[in-house]
Amino acid sequence: MEIFSNWSGSMTFTPGKICTPESEEQVCELVKKATFEGKKLRVVGAGHSSSPLIRTDDYLLSMKHFRGVEAPDLQHHRAIVPTGMTVKEAGKDLFRYGLAMHNTGDVDVQTLAGAIGTGTHGTGVELPNLSAMLYGVRMVTGTGEIVEFDRSTDEDTMQALQVSMGSCGIFLKMKLQLEPVYQLFRREYCVSFKNCMDHLEDLEKNRNFDFYWYPRTDLCKIRIMNKEKEKMPEIGYGSLELEREGPSHEILPRSRHIKFDEMEYVLPQEKAIDCFLEVRQQVKENFRRDVAWRLLIRTIRKDDALISPMSERESVTISLHHNAGLRFWNYFKAIEPIFLKYEGRPHWGKKHTLKAAQLKEMYTHWNKFQQTRQKFDPEETFLTSYMHELFIA
Amino acid sequence: MRKIGKLDWAFSGGRIPFESTGEEPKFNSHDKIAVLNTSGETAEIEIFIFYEGREPVGTFEVEIKAQRLRKIRINDLIDPEAVRLDRNYGCYIRSNVPVVIQFSRMHTGQNANAIMGTMAFPAD
Repeated sequence: MEIFSNWSGSMTFTPGKICTPESEEQVCELVKKATFEGKKLRVVGAGHSSSPLIRTDDYLLSMKHFRGVEAPDLQHHRAIVPTGMTVKEAGKDLFRYGLAMHNTGDVDVQTLAGAIGTGTHGTGVELPNLSAMLYGVRMVTGTGEIVEFDRSTDEDTMQALQVSMGSCGIFLKMKLQLEPVYQLFRREYCVSFKNCMDHLEDLEKNRNFDFYWYPRTDLCKIRIMNKEKEKMPEIGYGSLELEREGPSHEILPRSRHIKFDEMEYVLPQEKAIDCFLEVRQQVKENFRRDVAWRLLIRTIRKDDALISPMSERESVTISLHHNAGLRFWNYFKAIEPIFLKYEGRPHWGKKHTLKAAQLKEMYTHWNKFQQTRQKFDPEETFLTSYMHELFIA
Repeated sequence: MRKIGKLDWAFSGGRIPFESTGEEPKFNSHDKIAVLNTSGETAEIEIFIFYEGREPVGTFEVEIKAQRLRKIRINDLIDPEAVRLDRNYGCYIRSNVPVVIQFSRMHTGQNANAIMGTMAFPAD
């Protein structure tokens, strides 16, 4: 028996058995075995998520042996990425073939499949979350069968699978819609809170823009990226803290050695700043005794995945951070009602307290997703107790 | 230029005031250390924070370039974890080259600003 601990260390459990299959056949056999035994099976990626999506008393399956980009298609800018690869590994491997992802987040240590399955995102008003890249998938269903779908013939199914947290099947390979390789120019500035708010409209015109707000100084750090150097704005009201340029997979992520726990909510674009101002007020009044970590505000384009947090609405995310190892629930639980008041949806892979009754009210196509999930996992092999709370009751 | 100062420093009266008035960040109440490095090499300092009722926290690592001064607000230290406001703490600082360290506190909890400063204790 081996104790599993996630990246931040705040989510631990002891799975019955950790399995590391090396072939598709072995994955099918493991699923059939679990289903036959009436046991639950979940797939772990890099363990970066801090919600208990992968917690199981039975089988925990790692796809770490499924690696190496396949079938690069430079005409349509597509490639197949096996699901054991991290965002960083996939970015480097795709670059060798002249292909690149449209966006990634700050952190690239997650598996790309995990990032896609939870609706993980970067920033940019014109850029959807990472799941939007999913053009096709080859997966093992809850009955141990291998099936394949893609957007050209199975649009409805793909909208369900796009953000599904491994609840419909175990992804073996993902066909991704990519872009030709591109360069990015990046600058980061330290600015006053007032200047950040006053210039938001202009700042959001950059390809990638987000900002941190620092609770103990009321300062902001704005981060800007563009493909063209001439589009990089000169920020006269801030001090330049960092300037870099290079291929996208090297410039989008920032190295992180400090571990943290995080709550993130995805808000309708038009309500996000009011929400942020209320959160900021609450943090300043009640939490900066203990909390020094910044809040991160990002923009994301809407998508059409059935239960993507950005489904059918232009979005802005607000995330709270706290040093890993410190108590975070008092802080997170005090702020969460503010997010909900402004119609926020939680990031599936981060801390939140919501269950099915609240979640199903947030998504127009909730029932349609559940029907697809039940079709692919009729014996509920992937439906652990936490996933049951999330999806059923 | 002569290296002046000490390798080990400490102070015991730390307590970052919680209340602040005035424009931020200029008037945030804070504890601060000013580190002077007169030597010809980068000073790599390690900071350890001691509390009354729990284990010490550290190391917080900061560099001060050769022949430079750096002011560090204790409030802003977050790695490996944020230093608590409004709580008594002590601090031990060690450096790889001799440095001079001055401690100061600004408390703007009332509109009339108050600031005090003292030398940290040169321990070696």
